[in-house]
Amino acid sequence: MIATPELGERHAAFAAIVGERNAIVDPSRLRTYECDGLLGFRVRPEIVVLPASTEEVSAVVKLARRFGMPIVPRGAGTGLSGGSLPIEGCLVVGLSRMTEILEIDLPNRRARVQPGVINLAISRRLAPDGYYYAPDPSSQSVCSIGGNVAENSGGAHCLKYGFTVNHVVGATLVTSDGEVVTIGAEGGEPETLGYDLMGVLVGSEGMLGIVTEVVIKILRLPQATRTVFATFPSTDEAGAAVSAIIAAGIVPAAIEMMDQLAIEAIVASTGVDWPLDVGAALLMDVDGVRGDVEHTADAAIALLRESGALEIRAPKDDAERALMWKGRKSAFAAMGRISPNYYVQDGVIPRKEIAPVLREIARLGAEQGLRVANVFHAGDGNLHPLVLYDGRIPGEEAKAEHVGGEILRVCIKFGGSITGEHGVGHDKALYLGELFNDDDLETMNFVRCAFDGAGVFNPTKVFPTPRLCGDRPGVYTPHATELAGTADRG
Amino acid sequence: MSEPLAIAGVVPRTVLTPPDTDALASAIRELAAAHKTFALVGGATQLELGNPPAPIDTAIRTTACARVLDYAPEDQTITVEAGMTIAAIQRALDPHRQVLALDVADPEAATVGGAIATNAFGRRRARYGAIKDNIVGIGVVRPDGTLARGGGKVVKNVAGFDLPKIMVGALGTLGAITSATFRVHPADECSAAVCVRASAADAYALAQATVDASLVPDSLVAYADDGSYDLVVRFGGFARGVEEQVAALHALAREHGLASESLDGDTVQAYDERERAVRRMPVTMRLGAPPVRLAGVLAGATEFSGRPRVWYPLIGAALAGAEHIDPPFIAALRETLSTVVLERVPLAARAGLDAWGTPPPSFAIMERLKDRFDPERLCNPGRFVGGL
Repeated sequence: MIATPELGERHAAFAAIVGERNAIVDPSRLRTYECDGLLGFRVRPEIVVLPASTEEVSAVVKLARRFGMPIVPRGAGTGLSGGSLPIEGCLVVGLSRMTEILEIDLPNRRARVQPGVINLAISRRLAPDGYYYAPDPSSQSVCSIGGNVAENSGGAHCLKYGFTVNHVVGATLVTSDGEVVTIGAEGGEPETLGYDLMGVLVGSEGMLGIVTEVVIKILRLPQATRTVFATFPSTDEAGAAVSAIIAAGIVPAAIEMMDQLAIEAIVASTGVDWPLDVGAALLMDVDGVRGDVEHTADAAIALLRESGALEIRAPKDDAERALMWKGRKSAFAAMGRISPNYYVQDGVIPRKEIAPVLREIARLGAEQGLRVANVFHAGDGNLHPLVLYDGRIPGEEAKAEHVGGEILRVCIKFGGSITGEHGVGHDKALYLGELFNDDDLETMNFVRCAFDGAGVFNPTKVFPTPRLCGDRPGVYTPHATELAGTADRG
Repeated sequence: MSEPLAIAGVVPRTVLTPPDTDALASAIRELAAAHKTFALVGGATQLELGNPPAPIDTAIRTTACARVLDYAPEDQTITVEAGMTIAAIQRALDPHRQVLALDVADPEAATVGGAIATNAFGRRRARYGAIKDNIVGIGVVRPDGTLARGGGKVVKNVAGFDLPKIMVGALGTLGAITSATFRVHPADECSAAVCVRASAADAYALAQATVDASLVPDSLVAYADDGSYDLVVRFGGFARGVEEQVAALHALAREHGLASESLDGDTVQAYDERERAVRRMPVTMRLGAPPVRLAGVLAGATEFSGRPRVWYPLIGAALAGAEHIDPPFIAALRETLSTVVLERVPLAARAGLDAWGTPPPSFAIMERLKDRFDPERLCNPGRFVGGL
């Protein structure tokens, strides 16, 4: 049922573009879109549209502009920072129907895909030809490429292969005027002229436009991969092992750490036979040409042992290897086995500071009487503390959020960042102002204004205080030509 | 007395060399307040790149801002001031056996700020990526004199918009780069090289075969020599992997019916010298296209002026050098390839030639970006793509 005549008119106008089924105003269907993976916040959008083509996205954006509605782009809704959390009175543009892999160009090692394509679907499609798409967020079986572009998603194997920004070379963008613009490369060309707009579009959290096609690099599968799992008495020894491996000039494809609580949750949830009486575990992949893999795996195993590993295992076959990685990648969801609720944090610290920072995090949790599990990308210092709480106990959720915020301050204090891969979104906008000063933020806003001067896309996200594009601070001094009357600022 | 410094042929009224970043920022603030144009100059190795700018009041040299600000070997990151040369940065990394994977023609003269501004790349791009793949943080002075920074000192970071990316290849038109943080890589324990003499078509087929075999060369470069190419494939890493890959490449060459030989260190360095010699030629151009298309063009090419002398088959890029400029040829190349950028052209031959070619479809956004950063167009005006 449609609440007001005005909404009815808008709904009809959007339905005329995307079809009745794909223009949603029914409150029960809108519920799905009230939040993303950041479950603590919910806002009901006014309308949700699910366009099927670039042309439909363009028409939808133009119509939203006519109605003066802010636009919140949405991929698969798995984001963890509230990047696609609706804004009061907004139009949500969901890209979940745009799921075509449009082109695969093996000789130039590129593919062109629509934004709703699921990350893992690309590597599955490429596997028979011996290629893959490298960025592998833990949510890769459900998250979409469009969302990955918005968030500059990472993943375990980004340690060696880089993040989304290193693998996306071009895009089709619908701007705030509804224009369709090619950004960056159209295919395999190594260079495009002018500013690297693609580089800044990746990770812009849906604030610059809506990406409707993405050109990605694809990689040849490595000759060999070896996986090693090792346990340690505590995170101190595990952290020292990571440092020793990196110091030896070894670049693992991935090196992941889980502490005792995380291991407990993963074992309960996935059935891996990891020991429960250990303080920490590392899961590591080395890959590349066979000779290097043999050498580096052997060298890394020696270093794990020297660093105090209790047990070192190698999977006996691909199935066991897949299970180990499934354990790691399902760690967040596994927390449900040991706690009614949890708050996921995402911060980065210099790798050498892992041990002191983990101690600091444990102390912050203990102060509030809360447990904190840790499962993270140790190789690049990207922490994921999971603050465990019981939402049924009054005040516990607030305590968990407080601990989460203090963890970010610890990351800043140690010279790191408030987010390594989940984005700033709604959740961390306030903390961005602690990492960057006003001049830095103003400069970032220049970029936003160049793309979306009207502030239509995701306008309340990322920046700690809403910024407009018209008000350039500072005293305006007229140019000599203006004073002379030969030019104006028209 | 040396030649006066000229930016794509334009001689600035005056040249300043601020002693530190604060002085550099003050200089820009003063110039902005006086509505005077300026350009940033690092090692002055790429001054001929781009179109002649509007008259420049002041050239600001970054060469005195050349300190290491922070080096964390354990974290494989280094933060340096923009005026530091690539060679000096590498010397700072040597004791810890790490490398900055950034190739420039003249590492002893080229500064890191200039390398970022010109988006310099060379043979190791195939293994380590371009500058955008290695830079993690940046400090800038905006054209209005405001200091700002983006990114950070950790290798993984998605906080805020990625300002480092927007400064890479912007040719100093969005402000001055004052510092940058890079991800560095462990130095190879061992290295080796193999040379295969081949036609363009065979060189490309062999390059593709290394991909199919999942080899990971340090670099793969074809150096033109008369009608054919010397395809030089270098490998780096641990001894076992390097030996294995050298053997695999010899086997692939045999399968393709091509003769291959392992090269000693001196011979390999002679190829680096050949590349430098190309870059010293009177006319140089940077060509780019999807690898398959560029290979096709080179395979079909006969002798022409400005023929590619150094070709990166897996990147889809080439460096062409010539004695004379040939505008109809450049126009024809621009029809076929994605980019043909004139890096070096004699001043007298510049008239009517655009160094970049047609601006991309997203040019309107680029213009708005320039207007935000530099509304009065004081900073290196007119030198970049489309008159930016």
